[in-house]
Amino acid sequence: MLEYLRLFLFAVLLLAGLIIQLTAVLGVNRFRFAVNRMHPAGMADTLGLLLMALSAVVYAGFDWITLKILLVVALFWITSPVCSHLIGRLVRETDEEHFEAEAKEWKA
Amino acid sequence: MKKKNDAFSRLLDWLENGDQALDTEMEDSLSDASPAEHIKQKKKKKADKRKTASKGASAPRRAYADSWWYRTCAVVICLSLIGLLLFTALRLPEFGTADTLIDSELTEYYVEHTLEETGAVNIVTGIILDYRGFDTLGESHVLFIAVCTVLLMLSVRGEKNEALRLKANEYERHFEPEDDLILQSAARILSPLTLVFGLYIIFNGHLSPGGGFSGGAILGAGLILYQNAFGYEKTERFFTYKTFRWVSVCALLFYSAAKGYHFFTGANHLENGISPGVAGNILSAGLLLPLNFAVGCVVACTMYALYTMFRKGEF
Repeated sequence: MLEYLRLFLFAVLLLAGLIIQLTAVLGVNRFRFAVNRMHPAGMADTLGLLLMALSAVVYAGFDWITLKILLVVALFWITSPVCSHLIGRLVRETDEEHFEAEAKEWKA
Repeated sequence: MKKKNDAFSRLLDWLENGDQALDTEMEDSLSDASPAEHIKQKKKKKADKRKTASKGASAPRRAYADSWWYRTCAVVICLSLIGLLLFTALRLPEFGTADTLIDSELTEYYVEHTLEETGAVNIVTGIILDYRGFDTLGESHVLFIAVCTVLLMLSVRGEKNEALRLKANEYERHFEPEDDLILQSAARILSPLTLVFGLYIIFNGHLSPGGGFSGGAILGAGLILYQNAFGYEKTERFFTYKTFRWVSVCALLFYSAAKGYHFFTGANHLENGISPGVAGNILSAGLLLPLNFAVGCVVACTMYALYTMFRKGEF
């Protein structure tokens, strides 16, 4: 019984992670501007990775490898938002045309 | 003579006259007032091009990519590749089973004799640095030659055209994430950890999965992260062009000397004065540990040099 419960939890977590990754891929392809595309791309690296890592933990059982997996998640949670921030900053600095147009829209 | 426009004649034209677009871009960049101005002008040109293009020049190509059979083919090819990969992955033997790969004499020999002959617990390191050391020697030289070529082409060090050099510096300053607090806080935690982890992978290469190449790549990534966050001035306190030259050349010379001696004597494990030590200790496996370190140095230097060359053209 408990085994089945664990398997079920594993499957649910893995599928949730996969769905999030799929949404991210679709979003990156569907949205039009760099800043919009950053939004789904950042989601895949944080929430999607966390769910998939948790599913791996559930599947393999709780031992010292769990720590390594969680370390990977922690690393991504530190680096991925920083990456998004830098991309956003670079877009802000280089894509002047788009931002000027947007500012005009906001004013109007 | 009528000018043809097929791929071959365009190639010939390119070989004779060089890249026109590149030349005009360089001229533009030299004549401009500031990088921001230059980007604006470039944007304008691009927009103009897009306007003229949307009137019909590139319309057929777009339609081709949008046609239903192109899409169907793309989806079918992707799905079949995914299926093939999943099928292969399902048929892989389970991780850690003892008789996984023993289906040829060579594999069996490696599995049985690597530990006693090279002293490496990690058989992969034993193979790539001992049995197939010549191959790895060539690989590290390939990396070195690649970075030499990039230096030849992109380096602005000693560039006669002073304006070009200054321009490169100005661009660099314009796009550099200077004093980005978020990046700096992240790098303050991550870059020392990355460097230590890279060293651990290099020095533990003969005991656990890893070795010179992967550890060197991690070291290089740590250096790049540090450089990105804190800028060239702070990196130059410990890593300059001189460091790069000395470290990579010395590492390669050491590797060549060690392996050259080995091959000169017929690659038959002569006494070389280094005791193999107890298998499983850090200081064991004879030459493998220093060789791993040499490879790691070369890889880290190469990665960092490639990064700086493509970014700025100077260390």
